[in-house]
Amino acid sequence: MERQRTLARFRRSDKIFRNLTFVAAILVLSLLGAVAVSLVTGAWPAMKEFGFDFLTTESWNPVTEKFGALAPIYGTLVTSFIAMLIAVPIGLGIAIFLTESCPMPLRRPIGAAIELLAGIPSIIFGIWGLFVLAPLLQTTVQPALIALFGNIPVLSGLFAGPPYGIGVLTASLILAVMVLPFVTAVSRDVFETVPTSLKEAAYGIGCTRWEVVRNVVIPHTRVGLIGGVMLGLGRALGETMAVTFVIGNAHRISMSLLAPGTTISATIANEFTEADGDLYTSSLILLGLLLFLITMTILAGARFLLWRIDQGMKS
Amino acid sequence: MDSLAFDRNRFRKRRRSSALAMGLCLVATLIGLGCLAAVLLTLVAKGFSGLSLEIFTKMTPPPGSDGGLLNAIAGSVVMTVLGVVIGTPIAILAGTYMAEYGRHSRLTLVIRFINDILLSAPSIVIGLFVYTIMVAPMHHFSALAGAVSLAIIVIPVVVRTTEDMLRLVPDQLREAAASVGIPRAIMIRKIAYKAAWSGIITGVLLAIARISGETAPLLFTALNNQFWSTNVNAPMASLPVVIFQFALSPYSDWQKFAWTGALLITMTVLALSIFARALGARGATR
Amino acid sequence: MTAVSPLVARPRELSAVPDTERLTIKNLNFYYGSHQALKNVSLPIYSHRVTAFIGPSGCGKSTLLRVLNRMYDLYPGMRAEGEVAFDGEDILSPRTDLNLLRARVGMVFQKPTPFPMSIYDNIAFSIGLYERLSDADMNDRVEEALRAAALWDEVKDKLQMNGQSLSGGQQQRLCIARTVAVRPEVILLDEPCSALDPLSTARIEELIHDLRKRYTICIVTHNLQQAVRVSDYTAFMYLGELVEFGTTTHIFSAPDQPRTQDYITGRFG
Repeated sequence: MERQRTLARFRRSDKIFRNLTFVAAILVLSLLGAVAVSLVTGAWPAMKEFGFDFLTTESWNPVTEKFGALAPIYGTLVTSFIAMLIAVPIGLGIAIFLTESCPMPLRRPIGAAIELLAGIPSIIFGIWGLFVLAPLLQTTVQPALIALFGNIPVLSGLFAGPPYGIGVLTASLILAVMVLPFVTAVSRDVFETVPTSLKEAAYGIGCTRWEVVRNVVIPHTRVGLIGGVMLGLGRALGETMAVTFVIGNAHRISMSLLAPGTTISATIANEFTEADGDLYTSSLILLGLLLFLITMTILAGARFLLWRIDQGMKS
Repeated sequence: MDSLAFDRNRFRKRRRSSALAMGLCLVATLIGLGCLAAVLLTLVAKGFSGLSLEIFTKMTPPPGSDGGLLNAIAGSVVMTVLGVVIGTPIAILAGTYMAEYGRHSRLTLVIRFINDILLSAPSIVIGLFVYTIMVAPMHHFSALAGAVSLAIIVIPVVVRTTEDMLRLVPDQLREAAASVGIPRAIMIRKIAYKAAWSGIITGVLLAIARISGETAPLLFTALNNQFWSTNVNAPMASLPVVIFQFALSPYSDWQKFAWTGALLITMTVLALSIFARALGARGATR
Repeated sequence: MTAVSPLVARPRELSAVPDTERLTIKNLNFYYGSHQALKNVSLPIYSHRVTAFIGPSGCGKSTLLRVLNRMYDLYPGMRAEGEVAFDGEDILSPRTDLNLLRARVGMVFQKPTPFPMSIYDNIAFSIGLYERLSDADMNDRVEEALRAAALWDEVKDKLQMNGQSLSGGQQQRLCIARTVAVRPEVILLDEPCSALDPLSTARIEELIHDLRKRYTICIVTHNLQQAVRVSDYTAFMYLGELVEFGTTTHIFSAPDQPRTQDYITGRFG
């Protein structure tokens, strides 16, 4: 009799616990959808008002309530692109060093140090960029760039204007430092999936270390590397605080990388709490929606590629 | 003889280019380590002199006066704790569903995919989300809204580690528990969690490390507050937001406070992640 | 070839009691997805007897064991058809309470699986789920179980130590103690000695011999001498089918089927 009661209690508590975990799982599942829905709702007035012109208009004028996202979109894409241009080779280099030529006792500490870089909050990079990196660039690197490329067509346009210190280039450099550990971590992980036998075979026919990396390791991990780069890109696109400190916040598209600009996230961070008027707020939310869509696409693509690797490993 | 000499030349060239490439990889590593060192050294150089007892006992001052960061530190602690308290149970339960009840279901695949995307979603978008679902309808900023946005950042991290760690618990242990009549729910809570404990705690610590420096989602949820406040239904200061405000101000004494705050946050975050990793490594070797 | 160990001469002191069927397996089919792992298996499991299941790897002997406590229910895509009557009730019925079934039909696995808790709690935990006992009664039950598993003398001074800190053989006896502690009626042993050294194996075989007085025991083993040493009945399985079932003496001395003969003389498997 007592045993029957115990068993009934077990059945009940099993069911309750199971349902509890299920509800939590569904909550997590619906979070992403909820974000999308709430952003679309908030952005609706601006979407109605501006339509597709929002994407192609450069002007951002709170006084006349004319808002266009071209400058922040441009700034977001350019800073992320340059950041990846810098971070990918360096990140790959670190990953190659760590997996192929680093002395064993140093692998863990160096790997951990690079991972610590990923743990430093973005606001720290922001304050460092503003007070250390920007003045440094202003007094040394930027004048040198202007002098170096000043007389070369096209490139002179990229490095034109006075060296402000803050601007698109500085933001890109900070972003590069921030995504570096992500690129390194993913590359290192996929490099470690290369079977030792494959590498040994290559060494066996007399390949040098670099030839093994170039002809065996990198081709073998191509898809994973692309996934890792896209993951880093997703980070760079959405990064907010560090960029907000150093980009200069100008709603202007300038050819020169030394000029101030803005990004989607920096615009939102700077203006959201001060936005008066529903259309202004709504336009900022629409910017957020754009950022959400861009990063989601990139991240989903990255996850899909990395997921395919996992599947390949299992089969 | 001739061809051999030629080969030797070619071999030397190949060796040289390999040495060059691997040398560049070493340079890349030095650049990476250099960045870490540069950031940390600057923080210590600029922030350490500002560290004093007053930082922990006085409120954030108006420009030009004495003060500390007490309200900001307290606000950060309150919101971080609340964020973890809200986010962790949901995340552990969801991770439990994925690793236990739903281990073989298609739904779990979908949730894992969504969760991985959430894991790297821009935090400012999460701030906007919480603004539209909490701040706008309630017509005021609040620490609670800040905590909810932090919780949304905690969730994917803890879901991920919980699922991974529970999957590492051997099936034999589940079978053994079942074989003496232990019901599934009790097996999970008393045996599987126990076996996966150190890994799950590692995940929670890493999540705390991540949110304790988050600024973007707090800007338009918790806002800021110059004064002492423990009311979670009102705006609340936090260390990152105060750093943001002070660093971008033209006042050099505020900037000094910003550096000290930055040093505090970084030390906290680094200590948390080193501790978490040590704990994780210990769990992994067991 | 069948070097019959002297242990086979152990007196079968229970054979005077008539055999009664505890479990009756009738026309049992088992599927992993589309793969059929058991084909139309029928046999009785007698009360207070040791029944050994032998056969080459993949013959379905472990699968059969895992049907008897419905362990397969933990995984999707597996299903059993047919009938397994336990005291007259079909355990394959969806109405069967699995927690109760598994409390009545205990199982010990190939690899020792102590729970991540103290030696004491390893045993007390499952007892506490089903019975409200005072501390003193619980202590008695733990001692009784550990004595039954011949482990008491080795661990009585370190009951609060983690169960995973014991040696392999001790861990396996702890698992047996844990199983008998909930007072099951049937005990399933799935190659319980395959991960153990010869000395621990001998201890466990002794133990099985003692446990037979109180429990109905099924053991899967790939070690033929072990089957001879510990069992009263033997079932030889091959490719999911039950080839032959009979008393151990019969199966190992004069099997009816040529395939059984081939297997026990080591011609395949």
